Amino acid sequence: MSSTVVKKIDWLSILIYVLLVLFGWVNIYSASVPLDEIEQFNIDSVYGKQLIFIGLSLVIILFVLAIEAKFYERFASVIYIVAMISLAGLFILGKNVNGARAWYGIGSFTIQPSEFAKIATSLAFAKYLSDIQTNIKHWQDQLKALIIIGIPAFLILLQPDPGSTLVYSIFIYVMYREGLPGIYILLALSLAIIFIVTIKFGSVITLVTIALLLTAYYFIFRKSRDRKVKILPLVLFFLMSTTISLGTPLIYKNVFKQHHRDRFRLWLRLEQNPIKLQQLKRDIGYNTYQSETAIGSGGVSGKGFLEGTRTRGNYVPEQHTDYIFSVVGEEWGLFGTTAVVVLFSILILRIIYLAERQKLQFSRIYGYSVAGIITIHFMVNIGMVIGLLPTIGIPLPFFSYGGSGLWGFTILLFIFLKLDANRVNEWM
Amino acid sequence: MAVTEKKILVRLYIVSACMFLLALAVFVKLVTIQIVDGEGYRTAVKEANIKSVVVPANKGSLYSDDGSLLATSVTRYDVHFDAVTATDKNFDENIKPLCDSLGKLLGKSSAGLQSRLKRARAHKNRYYLIAKNLGYGDYVRLKNFPLFKLGAYKGGIITERKTVREYPLGSIAKRSIGYYRVTRGGEVKPVGLEQACEQYLNGKDGESWKQRIAKNLWKPINSTNEIEPKDGSDVVSTIDINIQDIAHHALLEQLEKYKADHGSVVVMEVATGEIKAIANLGRTSNGKYYERFNYAVGEAHEPGSTFKLMAVTAALEEKVVDTSYMVDTENGVIKYYGKSVRDSHRGGYGVVSLAEAFQFSSNTGIVKTIHESFKDDPKRFTDRLDEMNVAQLLDLSVKGEAEPHMPHPGDKTWSGIAMEWMAFGYGVSLTPLQTLTFYNAIANNGEMVKPRLIKEVREWDKVVYKFDKEVINPKICSQETVNKVKQLLKDVVEKEHGTGHKLYSPDFSMAGKTGTCQKDYAHTDRSKLNYISSFAGFFPAENPKYSCIVVIHEPDKSVGYYGADVSGPVFKKVAQKIYTSSPLIDTVKEISKPANEVIVDYERFFDKANDKSAVNVPNVKGMSGMDAVALLENLGIRVEVNGVGDVASQSIQAGQRITKNLKIVLTLS
Repeated sequence: MSSTVVKKIDWLSILIYVLLVLFGWVNIYSASVPLDEIEQFNIDSVYGKQLIFIGLSLVIILFVLAIEAKFYERFASVIYIVAMISLAGLFILGKNVNGARAWYGIGSFTIQPSEFAKIATSLAFAKYLSDIQTNIKHWQDQLKALIIIGIPAFLILLQPDPGSTLVYSIFIYVMYREGLPGIYILLALSLAIIFIVTIKFGSVITLVTIALLLTAYYFIFRKSRDRKVKILPLVLFFLMSTTISLGTPLIYKNVFKQHHRDRFRLWLRLEQNPIKLQQLKRDIGYNTYQSETAIGSGGVSGKGFLEGTRTRGNYVPEQHTDYIFSVVGEEWGLFGTTAVVVLFSILILRIIYLAERQKLQFSRIYGYSVAGIITIHFMVNIGMVIGLLPTIGIPLPFFSYGGSGLWGFTILLFIFLKLDANRVNEWM
Repeated sequence: MAVTEKKILVRLYIVSACMFLLALAVFVKLVTIQIVDGEGYRTAVKEANIKSVVVPANKGSLYSDDGSLLATSVTRYDVHFDAVTATDKNFDENIKPLCDSLGKLLGKSSAGLQSRLKRARAHKNRYYLIAKNLGYGDYVRLKNFPLFKLGAYKGGIITERKTVREYPLGSIAKRSIGYYRVTRGGEVKPVGLEQACEQYLNGKDGESWKQRIAKNLWKPINSTNEIEPKDGSDVVSTIDINIQDIAHHALLEQLEKYKADHGSVVVMEVATGEIKAIANLGRTSNGKYYERFNYAVGEAHEPGSTFKLMAVTAALEEKVVDTSYMVDTENGVIKYYGKSVRDSHRGGYGVVSLAEAFQFSSNTGIVKTIHESFKDDPKRFTDRLDEMNVAQLLDLSVKGEAEPHMPHPGDKTWSGIAMEWMAFGYGVSLTPLQTLTFYNAIANNGEMVKPRLIKEVREWDKVVYKFDKEVINPKICSQETVNKVKQLLKDVVEKEHGTGHKLYSPDFSMAGKTGTCQKDYAHTDRSKLNYISSFAGFFPAENPKYSCIVVIHEPDKSVGYYGADVSGPVFKKVAQKIYTSSPLIDTVKEISKPANEVIVDYERFFDKANDKSAVNVPNVKGMSGMDAVALLENLGIRVEVNGVGDVASQSIQAGQRITKNLKIVLTLS
C-alpha cells in the first residue's frame, strides 16, 4: 500500500469504525459469556469467534486497500454476476437455517452471500448510473437500474429473507440524489402512508384529510410565480388515494396473514383493550417486549458491564445478533445508546460528505449507496429493537455477531474509503 | 448530467434531513423508554423475575456401631405421563411396545396399560401416574422405553426426583432407628433416633437466586448473597446390628409363643451405657408383631419383683439388715392395714434368710424385711432410693421418655402401705430402661451411667462430636453392698431354688432377677387379670459386660406368665448368643449362609461405602450395577448407566481424583 493511501485515507471514518466494532464486541461478550466463564477466555464461544472475525477483518481491510482503486469500477459487472450466481446457487447448495436458505456451509463455517451481494449491487449500480450513456430521467434507464437492484432483492426475498430485501429499497434514494424525479419517491411514500393511515384511522378520515391537504396546497401555492399549480394532477392524486384507501381493507384482510396483521395491530396500537394489547405485546411482540424491558431497565447510566440482569438471564432472544442494541441499552444506559446513535450518525453524515467531494460519479454514487445501506440497517434494526418499527430481522452494522455481516460491511465501507483516498489520482 | 448544482444541494439536504429526522425519532424513543418509562420497567424487572429458592441440604446417614447402614437417603423417581404432547404418529406407533415394556417392569398387563394410556390421551390427561418411587436402575430402564426415550416434549415423560429415607434393616429396630411420619397437624416429623439425631442429620438448607426466563422456567443466577447448603452429618449409633438382630428375633419368638400383647428388650454395655440393641414389638390387629412404639422408653409400669433389687440394696446400704437376716415368710400371707401380701408359692417358704427370700422372690420375706427395717422412718428408705437415682428421668436423647413415679412420705400417693408395696414393686412405676439403668449400675460396681444411643457424629471420615459415657452417679452404693447384691442376683440363676434357675447354664454365668407383676389387679374379675413378665440382669456374672432387660406384657395365662418362663428365655438367648464364643458363631453362620462371592461383594461394598476419605474413583468393575451406583453416588459422582447386570466397564478409570460434578458412565452386561 502506498504512503498516499495512509495520508489520504479518511481517518475519522476509520476511528468511528474501530469504536463501533470494539464496542460491539464488548456487548457481544456480555450477551454470550456464561456466568462461570467470566474469568477465562473460550475461543470456541460466540465472543471468541467474533474476535476471530474482527481479526480477519483487519486482513480483509489491508487487502481491500491494497487493490488498485480502478479495479472496483472496472470489475463491478463481474463482481455483480458472481454475486448473483452465488445467490441463485443457494437454492441448490444452500444450507437451511431457521427456515431460510441463506447460507453456504463449508464444514462448520457458514457464509451468507446476501451480505456480500449488497457490495456487488452497489458497485454495479454505481457503475451503471455513472455511465455516460445513462440518463436517469429516461424511463428505460430507470428500468435498467431497477433491474440491477431488483435481481438480488428478488433472489433474497425467495430465500426468504424479507429484511435484507428491504435494504435494496435504499437505492431509490440514491437514484433520487442522482436526479430521479422526486415524484416517484413522493408517490411511493404516499402510497405507504395512505395504506398505514387507513389501517389506523379508517378510509373516511384518511380521504377527508387528503382532500383538505390538497385544497390547502392549491390555495397556498396557486399565486406563486415559480410554478403554476395545475388542478388535474391534484385530482388524479386524490383519485389514486381513494383507490388505495378503499382497497386497503381488502388487501389487509385477504393478502396479509394473521401474524402480519397481529404485528400491525401491535405496532399501530389498533387493539383498544389494554389487557389484550398486553397479551399481544407478550406473544407477538415477545422479542420487542423483552428488548424494550431490557433497554428500559437500563435507565440513564445503565447497570454496568456484565451487570445487566436481563442480559445475564438470556431474556432477549437473538440478543447477540439482531438484538445486540438491547445490551447497550441495559448495561450502558441512555449514555451508551446515545453514543451509538451519535457514532452512526457521524459516520453516515461523514460518508455523505465524503461522497459529495468525489469528482468521479462512480465514487459518489457508490458512497451514497454505502451511506444508504448503513442507514437503513441502522434505522430498521434499532427501530425494531426499541419498538419503533415492526419486527424486521436485519443486523446492526459492525455490532451484531456474525462473520459474513461484519466482513460485508467492512468491505463495503473500505472500498469506499479506498476510492476516496484515491480521489487525487482520478485523472491520472 | 441533467441535474444542476443547486438542485443537487436541495436533494442532498432533503436526504440528510430525512436521515436526521429518523435519528431524532430513534433518540426520542430511547429517551421515552429509558427515562420516562424507565422506572416502570425497572420495578417490573425486579418484582416479577427474581426469586430466592431453598436449596435443600442432603441428609446424613445413620450407622450402627459396626458401621452398617441403618438409615440413609436415596433418590427415588416418580414418573407421570403427559398423554397429550406426543404426536399421533409417535403415540400410535409406540403405545404397544411401550406398554409391553412397562408391563414387564411394573408387573401389569400390557393390554390394560394400553387402554388406560389411550383413555388418558382421550381425556387430555397431562399428568397420568405411571410409577412411583422407582429406584435409579428401574428409572433408567423406563426412561429408555419406546416413546419415553423421545423425552419430555416429544415423548411426554414427566420425571420428579425426590429424596426418600431408606432403612436397610427393615422392620428390625424400626421404631428405635426411627422413621418419618405425618403428625395430626399434617407435619412430617421423625421419631426414634432419626428424631434424636435430627440436628446432626439435617444439615442446613442453602439459598440461591433464580431468575425467570419464561413462564414457569427459572434459571439460577450468579449472586454474591447465595448460601451454599450444608449437608447433614452422619451419625454413628451405639446399636450393634448383630445384637439387635438376636434381640429382635428372640423377643419375637417369645411374644408369638405366649401370644403376648407387647414386649421390649434392651441390651446395654455395662461400662459405657451404650445401648447395643433395643427391640420393641407390639401386636397389631392381625396378630403380627411390629415395632410401633418405643415401650422401653415410653412406657412406665409397675415393675414388680425386679424392683426388689432396689429395695434390698437400699436396706443393705442403710446397714439395717444383712443378707443373712432371717425372716419368717408366715405361710405366704402377711396383712398390712387389712391388705394382704401373698407369695406365689402357696404356704410360703418358712423362715429364710434375706438372701433366700430374694432368690425365691418371696414377696412376704422382702416386704417384711423392709417393713421391720424402715417402719419407723419410711423417709430413710425413700431417701436412700432417691440417692441411688431410682425412679428418676434419664433425660435421653430420644424424646418421649415416660415419667417414672415413686411415692414419698407426705405425698398424696403416700399411704400406710406405700413402702411395703413398693418393696415388691407395686405403687411405683418405671420404664424398662430406667430399671435397666439401675441393674447396669450394680453390674458396673455402683457407677450409674446414662443409657446412650448416639456414639459419634461424623462428617465424611472426620469425627465431629464424640459422645462419651455420661455418669449419672459415680457411686450409688458402697462396694460392699454391690458385692452382696451381685451375689444375690447371681444366686437367683445359680441356686437350684432360685426363680431364675431355668436360665442356668454350666458354660456361662448370668445374673438377674425375675419379675412377674400383676396388671389391672383392681379388677374383681380374675379372668381379666393380666401379667407383666420381666427379667433384668447382666452377664457374664463375674465380670459383667452387658446388662439386659426383657419385659413382656400380657402373655397368654394359659401358656404361662412367670418372668422366668416368659422373659427369662429371651434374656438367656441374647446372653448366650452374644457372649458364648463358639455357639454364637455357629448359629450366626447358619442363619445367613450367603454364597462366598456375595460376602466378598458385600464386604467390599461396605468397606468402600464407608471409606469416605477416598477421593479417587474406585474400581467398580465386576460389582453389581446397583451397588456400583450407590457406591459412586455416595462419593458424589453422577452416574449414568447403560445396560443391566454387572459393571463391565467404567468411563473414568479407577484412581482418578474425584472432582465436583464428575460424571461417570457405567456399561453393564
